[in-house]
Amino acid sequence: MKPLYRLFYIAYRLISGTWHWAQRRFTLAGLLVLTGFFVTGAVGADIENTVTYQAFTLLFALLVLGFASSFFFRAKFSAVRFLPRVGTAGQPLHYQVEIKNLTAKPQIGLTLLENLTDPRPPFPEWLAFQMAESKRVRPFRVAQRRQRNPFRLATLKPAEIPPLAARSESEVSAEIMPLRRGVMHLTGLTIARPDPLGLIRSFFKIPAAQTVLILPKRYLLPSIALPGALRYQEGGVALAANVGRSEEFVALREYRHGDPLRHIHWRSWARIGKPIVKEFEDEFFVRHALILDTFDDEPNSEILEEAVSVAASFACTILTQESLLDLLFVGSQSYCFTAGRGLAHADQMLEILASVKNCADKKFEALEQLVLNHVALVSGCICIFQKWDDARRQFIDKLKALNVPLLILLVVPPGGGIAGAGGSLVNADGTFYVLEIGKIQETLAKLK
Amino acid sequence: MLAALVFWGWQSGLLVFGAVMGVVLESARFIKVRWDLSTDDFRRIWNLCVLLAGALALYVFATNGEGGGFGSLLHGAATGQNAALSGIHTISTLTRWLPMIFFLFVAAQNFSEREAIPLSAISMIFRWRMNQADGTKSEWHVNISYPYFIICLFSAGIHANQGTHYYFWGQCVLLAWALWPLRARRFSPAMWGGALLIVVAIAYFSARGIGQLEQLAQSYNAQWMARFLQHGRTDPMQAITAIGEIGEMKLSSSIVIRLETPNGAPAPGYLREASYHNYHAQAWRAGGTQTVPNEFEDIAATTNNGTTYDLLPGKTNTAAVNIACYISGWSQDLNVPEGLLPLPSGCGQLANLPDLVALKKNKTGAVAAAGPGFIIFDAHYGAGATIDAPPNTNWDWTVPTNEAPALDQVIAEINLATNASDEQKELKVAQFFSSRFTYSLWQRPDKNAPAGETPLARFLLRTRSGHCEFFATATVLLLRELGIPARYAVGYYAHEADGDGKYVVRERDAHAWCLVWNGTTWQDFDTTPGSWVAAEAKRASALQWLKDAFSWLHFQFSKFRWGQTQLRKYILWAVLPMMAILLYQIIFRRGRKRQAKKSDGKKIQSDPWPGLDSEFYRLEARLAMRGIPRQTGEALSEWLERALLETTLADLRPLLLDLLRLHYRHRFDPEGLAGDERKLLAQKTETALKALAEK
Repeated sequence: MKPLYRLFYIAYRLISGTWHWAQRRFTLAGLLVLTGFFVTGAVGADIENTVTYQAFTLLFALLVLGFASSFFFRAKFSAVRFLPRVGTAGQPLHYQVEIKNLTAKPQIGLTLLENLTDPRPPFPEWLAFQMAESKRVRPFRVAQRRQRNPFRLATLKPAEIPPLAARSESEVSAEIMPLRRGVMHLTGLTIARPDPLGLIRSFFKIPAAQTVLILPKRYLLPSIALPGALRYQEGGVALAANVGRSEEFVALREYRHGDPLRHIHWRSWARIGKPIVKEFEDEFFVRHALILDTFDDEPNSEILEEAVSVAASFACTILTQESLLDLLFVGSQSYCFTAGRGLAHADQMLEILASVKNCADKKFEALEQLVLNHVALVSGCICIFQKWDDARRQFIDKLKALNVPLLILLVVPPGGGIAGAGGSLVNADGTFYVLEIGKIQETLAKLK
Repeated sequence: MLAALVFWGWQSGLLVFGAVMGVVLESARFIKVRWDLSTDDFRRIWNLCVLLAGALALYVFATNGEGGGFGSLLHGAATGQNAALSGIHTISTLTRWLPMIFFLFVAAQNFSEREAIPLSAISMIFRWRMNQADGTKSEWHVNISYPYFIICLFSAGIHANQGTHYYFWGQCVLLAWALWPLRARRFSPAMWGGALLIVVAIAYFSARGIGQLEQLAQSYNAQWMARFLQHGRTDPMQAITAIGEIGEMKLSSSIVIRLETPNGAPAPGYLREASYHNYHAQAWRAGGTQTVPNEFEDIAATTNNGTTYDLLPGKTNTAAVNIACYISGWSQDLNVPEGLLPLPSGCGQLANLPDLVALKKNKTGAVAAAGPGFIIFDAHYGAGATIDAPPNTNWDWTVPTNEAPALDQVIAEINLATNASDEQKELKVAQFFSSRFTYSLWQRPDKNAPAGETPLARFLLRTRSGHCEFFATATVLLLRELGIPARYAVGYYAHEADGDGKYVVRERDAHAWCLVWNGTTWQDFDTTPGSWVAAEAKRASALQWLKDAFSWLHFQFSKFRWGQTQLRKYILWAVLPMMAILLYQIIFRRGRKRQAKKSDGKKIQSDPWPGLDSEFYRLEARLAMRGIPRQTGEALSEWLERALLETTLADLRPLLLDLLRLHYRHRFDPEGLAGDERKLLAQKTETALKALAEK
């Protein structure tokens, strides 16, 4: 079976590579000409009964001229990209690029293309994804919802470059739509010029390697009363210095999806042209554990992505409320990261969440051990699970035995329920929520 | 759009249609009236267009080869030449008609309030995705004028190549028109024009070059192609044998003929398609001369309905067999499938034939049928006379001079008595082949062959191993050398039973044998060792059952497709009501749907507020009829108080107030009414209604 998949992988690389090349090299009209070229070539083979071979030659000549003219692009440019430090998956990332025309000729009608690193995974990772996918998707269900290509980093929008006078520079607004969290590597910029007929582009490449961290997608959470009460914190004197009754305004920052609307600083929005929110110092001393389940075999699971998004939503919301938050998960080792109340900022927690991966080499007990060691400090636990099995059920039972207040969130694939006997928990006073992918926002809005 | 459609019409020979369609589409610029078409309406129109395309495909496919009528309008004179491959023909016809089929859809877009059509109207996948997204995704729209323009250009090219370049110049102009708005502003219009001129020049010379190259290839390939295309069907005028070819003979195991005999009688054995009398250079020919022609002659049907043909009038036929076979050739004159019928020896009558265009026979016993591509008929046969002409001195004793030495050497080896009768000679020849020759499908290359040795001499004198063509050819020539008239026959040998009285004949059962003249009739005479059947059967693959299943499906499909000459009529009659229903749906369904939605709405609301089914509303309606309607926004209690001011209703007051109380509880009490109370509400309302009716 593996050699067959190797063949598919080669085909996948070939097809995706060709498609990527064609999308950049051809304009929309050019792509149509290319398609027409192949169709008329196939039909025109029967030159007795059709005359489409005449169209074939015309399209062929258009392509030949386009490619020939792409060798005559004599221009020089330099460019600098001004990137923000972070972006959010699913939210467009806007930035500016300063382009300088280094020739003595004015340059018009150019397009700016962004170059990303090749997102196609190596064979083992691709194979693991295909295997997981074939388990998940039943054959011959054409209409069954397919997972979005998890390897695609971002969609890029070509930006029009305004006319550049000789030896002058100009600023271009560019936009990238990041599709997944993690570090996005930009390798350089390409300036493209179409041929006289507007079909095929010729390129001038400028190396400009930069990275931008893409934070996980976040959901809007209602104002929730988290389980648990104030608790004495050891070594809390230093922390308590920051504590006051008033909601003290500390800073302004850019709006992030999930921020409460009442924190928007309208005047700054009016001035800058994009939403800005006020940040307040936190006052209370409740400490919560945000437990993220990272145990699944599938490296690119959609469930993990959603679980991380839910965790990120809590990380953002709770910190703007009134508590400390400990993020607990297991990756290559066990992690406990505390944020809030002057210790660390929500941004840092989001940055950590941006890089969380599924852990295939350890068992769920590793997380259980980490949480049980830590549980004495916390007022309550928010558990985000990827599945519901005996190990997780026992873990919850142990926490219950310790009288730890809980909020359990289980992320399930679309159309999936909870396997096994989770039924009793579902009914238990609104502490167990099943988040079905595609309906997560609706369920989260019902949190109490 | 007008230009594209006119171009399409001009190229497809439908200029008037093209011009009218173009004018209709362009008139949307001047006519300001617009229809408010919803996505559902577009979907219905799209379905209608797709159904139209499907119906047209089915119609063209079914009428392919039947010729005449509406069919000839569809293919036209020039493209008809290629109609042998009906599938390709169907596709090309359909492609030519695409602009007309989808005209309604484009017109709907042009005359609707929308400038683009939602993709979910066209694609099931998009529709499904939109339903899944539950309104969270924004819908994709596409302006179908652009794809339609491309389709017009493409469809215009689907017609026979008449050696002109009108299509080329037409599409140059239209493409230039389409490319002009998309040009790169960086370059001057002069440069754009120059680039386009270069493109046109390259394209023009390439197109001419392709045309010339094709002509060259055709003249070079004509003979080779003829040999290649002959595979699988028998030419009544010549049979090029594989004698002298090196390597293995390969024939497939697909089923080509099915036989059924009445009452489980045995199969007729040899099914002859044709016989030949002139051997030269490894090929047998049946052509005549000017003095003795061997042309096909029409046979007239014996009965009025044209299903029975007497091949040998007056002959007593003792046996019958039902034969189902494919007709794989094509008649250029009649523009229908035409081919030879495999018939048992001594066949005197063909009965229950389908509606044939023509049935012909020649002097060497070949019977050709023209009409459907698949024929089922009954062949009545018996020993004795055949339709073959008696032996002709010009042909049936002739032996090629280059083969004579080897034949004489063999005759010496057989050692015949000088006064042996024809029967004795035949027996000796049969014994000679059966005792000293073996059957083989494999011919080794022979580097040590003496110069001038013919393949047949090599077979007769040295290898003594070969396939049926060797045996049949050698036997015919040997008998002729011995003074007995003989002919070379080709056809099939039916031996494989497939149930009670049923037989199947595979392509690999194709066989060649000998016809020998016994003084009064021609008789089958086969010297190929009986092991040939087993040798051929050895090549059956393990998956033969699967192939057989497909053969059976193909057989059933052919029966359906060719068995009913009225098929196109049925299709028309089936399609017309479907179109009518769909049109009705498009025009009238909208109102009905709105009604359906209204009732749906009630249902949905009645779930959270069960009180809406209260009978009290009937009471309200009745009082309204009495001239006390409830005002908008007026509470039921206020309205009832107002109604009770009427003196005639005074005695009903306690009952009505009680009812109102029950109704309110039913309507607004979270716990609702208990079962008894609910019944009480219904009963009391009835009482009140009766009382009201009396007043």
